[in-house]
Amino acid sequence: MNYLLHILTMINIYVILVLSLNLLVGYVGLLSLSHAAFYGIGAYISTLLIMKLGLGFLPALLLAVVGTVLLSYTISLPSLRLRGDYFVLASLGFQIIVFTILYNWIDLTRGPYGIPGIPRPIFFGIEINSIGSYFLFSGVIAAICTGLLYLIGNSPFGRVLKAIREDEIAAAALGKNIVRLKINAFAIAAGFAAAPGALFAGYLRYIDPTSFTVMESVFILSIIIIGGAGNISGPIVGTVLMIFLPEVLRFIGLPDAVAANMRQIIYGLLIILIMRYRPQGLSGEYRFE
Amino acid sequence: MSILELENVTKAFDGVLAVDKLSLGFDEAKITALIGPNGAGKTTIFNLICGLIRPDSGAISYRTKNITGLAPWHVAQQGIGRLFQDVRLFERLTVNDNILAAFKNQTGENAFLSVVVPWKVVREERSFLERALQLLEFVGLADKANDLAENLSYGQQKLLSIARLLALDADVLLIDEPTAGVNPTMVASLLEFIRRLAKEGKTIVVIEHNMNVVVEIADWVCFMNQGQVESFGLPNEVLGDPEVRAAYIGL
Amino acid sequence: MLLQLLANGIISGCSYAIVALGFAFIYNTTRTFHFAHGGVYTLSVYLFYTLYNLWALPLIVAIVITVAVTAFVGILIDKIIYIPLVKRGSSLFIQMLSSLGLYIVLINFVAMIYGNETKVLSPGIQPTYSFGSLILTQIQLATAIAFVVLFIGVIVVLKKTRLGKTIRAMRDDPQLVSVLGINPRRVRRVVFALGSALAACAAVLSGLDIGTDPNVGMAAILNGAVAVIIGGVGIFEGAALGAFLLGILQSLAIWQASARWQEMITFLILILFLLFRPQGILGVRHRIEEVSV
Ligand SMILES: Nc1ncnc2c1ncn2[C@@H]1O[C@H](COP(=O)(O)OP(=O)(O)OP(=O)(O)O)[C@@H](O)[C@H]1O
Ligand SMILES: [Mg+2]
Repeated sequence: MNYLLHILTMINIYVILVLSLNLLVGYVGLLSLSHAAFYGIGAYISTLLIMKLGLGFLPALLLAVVGTVLLSYTISLPSLRLRGDYFVLASLGFQIIVFTILYNWIDLTRGPYGIPGIPRPIFFGIEINSIGSYFLFSGVIAAICTGLLYLIGNSPFGRVLKAIREDEIAAAALGKNIVRLKINAFAIAAGFAAAPGALFAGYLRYIDPTSFTVMESVFILSIIIIGGAGNISGPIVGTVLMIFLPEVLRFIGLPDAVAANMRQIIYGLLIILIMRYRPQGLSGEYRFE
Repeated sequence: MSILELENVTKAFDGVLAVDKLSLGFDEAKITALIGPNGAGKTTIFNLICGLIRPDSGAISYRTKNITGLAPWHVAQQGIGRLFQDVRLFERLTVNDNILAAFKNQTGENAFLSVVVPWKVVREERSFLERALQLLEFVGLADKANDLAENLSYGQQKLLSIARLLALDADVLLIDEPTAGVNPTMVASLLEFIRRLAKEGKTIVVIEHNMNVVVEIADWVCFMNQGQVESFGLPNEVLGDPEVRAAYIGL
Repeated sequence: MLLQLLANGIISGCSYAIVALGFAFIYNTTRTFHFAHGGVYTLSVYLFYTLYNLWALPLIVAIVITVAVTAFVGILIDKIIYIPLVKRGSSLFIQMLSSLGLYIVLINFVAMIYGNETKVLSPGIQPTYSFGSLILTQIQLATAIAFVVLFIGVIVVLKKTRLGKTIRAMRDDPQLVSVLGINPRRVRRVVFALGSALAACAAVLSGLDIGTDPNVGMAAILNGAVAVIIGGVGIFEGAALGAFLLGILQSLAIWQASARWQEMITFLILILFLLFRPQGILGVRHRIEEVSV
């Protein structure tokens, strides 16, 4: 039972990550490889605020969101006015820069040693201390984020992002400030990625940089590709599937040393196959063309 | 009175002059037809005005304001709308969303406001929907409102792109070959509508290959060849010019 | 000290440049952002490791087989992964994602077979040569010589042969090539073969120099792609120039800070370029120009 609750909690965390990236991939049509960086920035800012300044979980989470949004401009301002493939490379670069900082700025982040002993979230004097209550707690936050992202996706803002995805030039000729809209979408996606970072830190009560690597960014992206983009259901289907998949593999009984690589190979093959045979993913609205 | 003016504008692509020291003005509330053989530089002029490409030299001004080098969105917000020769719809959006995306001043285009004051956005959205429906009825696509734009026939796509342009409610309309691929009955009502827009005070520039259409709607005709204005005047004057006939109409 | 660092930077620049030229071959002609180039790089150095270290084949034989097989792998990747997508009219976006998927598969395939730990390819201490206060290892010298030879080769192929002219024409206008009656498939095959072969050369040299692990491909493709962009997309000399700039700046950064920040330097340089000179050192500025249909 605890095992299942653990997986469901991870799904809550990942759903927010994937839905926020969906705003870029499925709406704007931007490939970003920096989502794990924002996830990590959220985790580290909230953790440091809680441990160094003694803030509560929620204020720390909100400030982490603000901080992450601000940091997102350092990458979106220089790269979003350029061609799509430059942006992919720049986002990858940002991911690597952030990882390098988390890993090497030992005075602040303790680098590879990680930060242990992160206190559990406390609300109105009640500590979220069981796995069941953390599942509920993360579920509430995931539901709120999903609701907000749904509102944003279905708002005129979401519509104009899709218009940009379809034809930037036509959208510009209709008076839409493409670059500004993209930068805003990027900031929103980054902000929403910070929340699961805080949730993850509060859940494991330990963070180190290896949770926020390039491969993690690729993983988050592959969830969208496989589940499908441009709506809410695709990313959710993808998340559930991809979080359960390794557990299934474990069930089959692959040796641990091989399992990790095997899992990655399966992700890679799935991406290739989906792009080839089902570009809208399992349940997406947006067909990559 | 010229509302939109090009002065000595030059644009070369890889050394080939597409527009060559061209000066041209468009009168307010009039219909000007741009004609000329393929590759004369007509579409390039639209691209230059819209800011999609930058002139190598020369200036473009709108209501005496210099708009040379402004970004496309900025030009559009000044009140210059554009119909593309190759349609350029938002293909994987519904017909309705294609129109809705085009309206100006949408509160909900600000993500923050769309979450903070959703009721306001919903109210606005209702009136936009109404206007979208009117536009779709006008072009006869009301029953297709929820289809994806990519599933329309070419003629229907053309009509939708016209409706989308109208949704922008610009003062100057740059229309690139509106009748190509549209059926004759629709053409008639389209022309009627273009005339009405001009009467309402819109400035219209239309690129058109069909001379009957040109004669029917144009107040002014500008004949272009090799990036230059060869002849400019009333429709009958220009179309009667033997040189024009030889270069273009006589084929 | 400074001189030595400069020399080291230039040598890494040589290695980056070889990868960058290979990447540029493919990127400039097909516009495909060939992420899997990094995977090919990793694959080739492990192939070499198998031939040279495990099977103890003579060095030259191992190198020739590695380069030939890698070139073939490049062609195969194009045939299996990209061509079907191109035929369908897929966007570069899809090609890039597929390439990323393939990169993941290749890297993990290698890691599964050979493990994640670093492999040493040339045991013992390498002979060194000193030029005044400058000390270079044999492999470093070989890298520099290989770069010069390969660079001249690339430029000769591009500027002097019919194939090179076709490649440059395809870079400028893919449609033109089919109009001219040249088979774009054939050009693609050549480009993928040459590009991958270049990756193999760099991979072997750097493997012999500092050993290898499955993730070397990531650093290689990143340095290569960044070099191409800061040098100027579409210009082969630019790729080499970008690579040297990168190598030298990284080397100086190590002197000022520490090797741990090296990757960060790469991307700070990229971001500075994107901000202030997006067309790259040798590139010409293009606004997103509409192609009238
Ligand atoms: N983006 C571009 N890049 C390179 N050359 C271009 C570009 N746009 C237009 N040209 C060239 O400029 C010249 C003028 O083209 P333009 O599209 O303006 O002609 P047009 O008068 O609209 O012709 P048509 O009646 O066929 O639409 C042509 O020779 C064309 O090939
Ligand atoms: Mg034209």
